[in-house]
Order: sequence, then C-alpha cells, then structure tokens
Amino acid sequence: MTVIEKAKKSEETILKIEHLVKRFGDLEVLKDINLEVKRGEVVVIIGASGSGKSTLLRCVNFLEKAQKGRIFINGKRVKQGEKQLNKVRQELGMVFQHFNLFPHMTVIQNVMEGMVQVKKIPHQKARLYASDLLDQVGLQEKADVYPAMLSGGQKQRVAIARALAMEPQIMLFDEPTSALDPELVGEVLSVMTDLAKKGMTMLVVTHEMWFAKEVADRVIFMDEGVILEEASPDVMFSSPKEERTMAFLKQVLPQQA
Amino acid sequence: MHILPWDLTVIPSKFFLFAEAAQYTLQITFFGILVGLIIGLAAALGRLSTQQWLSSICRAYIFLIRGTPLLVQLFIVYYGLTSIVTIAPIPSAIIALGFHNGAYIAEIFRGSIQSIDIGQMEAARSLGMPKAKAMQRIILPQAFKRAVPPLGNQLIIALKDSSLASTIAVPELMLKGRQMGSSSFMYMEMFLIVGIWYLIMTSVLSFVMHRIEQRLKVSDRD
Repeated sequence: MTVIEKAKKSEETILKIEHLVKRFGDLEVLKDINLEVKRGEVVVIIGASGSGKSTLLRCVNFLEKAQKGRIFINGKRVKQGEKQLNKVRQELGMVFQHFNLFPHMTVIQNVMEGMVQVKKIPHQKARLYASDLLDQVGLQEKADVYPAMLSGGQKQRVAIARALAMEPQIMLFDEPTSALDPELVGEVLSVMTDLAKKGMTMLVVTHEMWFAKEVADRVIFMDEGVILEEASPDVMFSSPKEERTMAFLKQVLPQQA
Repeated sequence: MHILPWDLTVIPSKFFLFAEAAQYTLQITFFGILVGLIIGLAAALGRLSTQQWLSSICRAYIFLIRGTPLLVQLFIVYYGLTSIVTIAPIPSAIIALGFHNGAYIAEIFRGSIQSIDIGQMEAARSLGMPKAKAMQRIILPQAFKRAVPPLGNQLIIALKDSSLASTIAVPELMLKGRQMGSSSFMYMEMFLIVGIWYLIMTSVLSFVMHRIEQRLKVSDRD
C-alpha cells in the first residue's frame, strides 16, 4: 500500500499501448511493448539507461514515431497526421529532463503560451489561470522573471505548471529530476506527489526510487526494450521475480537488498 | 611645394560634393538588405522544410548565388534581362543586391535556427502547437537574436559591395569618385574621399549593430 491517500481510481483505461515497436536504424529500442494505464493511476517506469524507458514515453507523445503498434487514449486510437497529433498532445502533458522552458518569455508567459496560442483562451483569463497554477507549484512571486533567473528546481516546477495549463488527462514525466542538483530534487518530487494526490494520471520515468515506492501504484521495470516485470511497489522492491530486476535494484538501492 | 605627388588639401573642400552619392549608396544598400532579409528568411525556412522539392529549390538558389560573382548577377539583371524587361539602374542594383545578400542571409538564418536546442521545438509541439506556429512563436524569436551579429557583418559587406553598382550607372559613391577623378585628374584625392565616406558609414553601422547586440543581451540571457 502506498502511504499516500489518493483520489479514487476508476477502472477505466485511459491509455493503452499495443505491440509498440521502435527502431533507430538497426537498433530495436522498443520490442513489442504492451501497457495499460487506468485513469488516476501513477505508473513509474524504472530501468537502466538505454533500456528504452524514455523512448517509450516519447512514443506516447509522438515525439518519436514508432514503426509498429497502436496507442489508444480514452479508447480512441491515435492516428498519425498533424491535426490529430496536435489534438492528442494537448491531452498529454510532457515534462522534460532539461525543462525546455522558453528562455525569451517570462515565467508566466511560459505557462500562458499553450493556453493562448493553442487553446485560444483569452489573454486575461489565461493569465489568471496561469497565476493560479504558479501558486500551486509555489512560484507565484516569480511570475515576471525570465527562466534564466531560476534554479533548476524552480524551472522544473514552472515546466510542470506549463504542462498542466493545457489541462491534460495524462502527465508524462521524462526523468524530471535527473538534471537537478540533489538538494533541488525534493521540491519537484513534492509537486509531483501533490499532483498524484489530486488524482492525476501519471507516467513517470525516474531514478528516484523513493518516489516509486511512496507514490506509484505500479512500477514497471524495463530492460533492453521490453517490459520485464511489473508489480506494485511493495512487491517490486521487496521480492522482484526477475534476476535482472534484482540486479538493477541492488545497484540503485545499495543499502537495502 | 608638395612632398607628395598629390594635393591632399583638396580633400576637405571636395568632401561634401560626395554627399548625394553617399545617399545613393545608403539607399541601394538599405533596400538591398531589406529585400535580402525577406528572401533570406524565406529561403532559410524553405531549406529546412521537409518538403523535398522546396528544400531543393532553395538549395539551388543558394548554390547559384554564392557560386557566382555579384558583378555577374548585376549584369544579368541590368543587361541580361533587357530582352524581356528594361529595369532602371537603381532598381536593378536593389534587385541584384537583394538576391545576392538573400543567399548569404539564408545561410545565417538557417544556422541560427538550427542552433536552437531541439528541446524547444519538442516542448512547443508537446503543448499541441502546430509546427509553423512553434517556429513563429518559439524558434524564430530566439534564432533572430543569435542572427544579429552575423547580420551586422553582412550589412557591412553589402554596403561595400554596393560599389559594384557603379558599373551599371547608379550614381553612387564609387561612380562619383571615378567621374570626379577623370574630370580633375586627381584620382588619388577623389578615391581617398570615397574611401573615407565608406569608412565613416561602416563605422556608424558597426557601432549601431554593437549597441543592438548589447541591448539584446540585457533583455534576455539564455
């Protein structure tokens, strides 16, 4: 059981990935991936670097085009094609390892950009909502500064607010704390934990085992392009079935095991 | 009695007789660069397009312009096209300078667009922005900033290159120098005046570009 009280999860499948295959040239990075995520579920993907976990996340958002396989969101298959993808991407909030804030815009302009330019929300209304979101990530007083003036942790919290501004159904986190100084990891994880509590569906690639243990409903271990094992965090961290999983966990959790 | 074989004392008195010619120099440079900026941006975006035919056309344009002298391009516009359409000297110069600089400016823009981190485009696309909008809102504002120093350089090159327009009878500085020289036989004195005019104009342009760079640096550091 997770220690976090969470909003009730429905049994409704919000994201379904079927037989996903992704190659970079001759290299098969994802080999027949199948995954279902329920609404409100927090799924954490762990695995060594090069195991394909980031690629999987990027395929869900179509930043990478998979060679084979199908992706369903709310039961509807996502088809290729600009118009469709632009629509679907609004449902999927993406948070990147390197934040990718827009450096020529202030913090609040970053958060408003998607609302104003994509959702066509009037400027005034967008500003109010953006300000509210900045409040939620604890950065309202930074609204009018440029990203260059922020710490890594603050940048990532702005990036989360920017993604939330589109009111996505699923949030995708691609190693959101990997580029941060250790003392800044906590503030980002705490924002993510809040989100999980509010019932946001989350797909998180991370090396923060604490987060996986405490917040995840399900942990997925990826190895060489396949989902080798998936289980609740309790089971995954106490009694993994696969040898590769054990070896990996032993490395990332040295003091336990 | 002069130590030098030239009478340099005429320089101050004749100097301002070149002012009108300098105006023509500035005029064809300014409009040439303006046309060049428009063509350059279009050609840069075209080259980066995923549409193969468009990319090929832009590549061919850049290849042809950069591979041939500006003088040849000037003559093609002014003399070569006469069988179809007669274009007056000044418009000819502006067209040739525009197309010539457009090719170089296209490469400047292409470089600065490609220098923007790929994560910027990905972040914009992940918000559901169409590619064109992401280019306009996110990539180009950052790319323009990076293009300012090389564009300043190109502007100075264009100003000096405009002297070639003297060969198609544009009454600019260089032509004025040749006319004044041959009527007075004081070639050295007249061409020194021409050189000083160019030097003053390029200095002012360098200074202005430097100021613009400084200002951009303050408003945003990335």
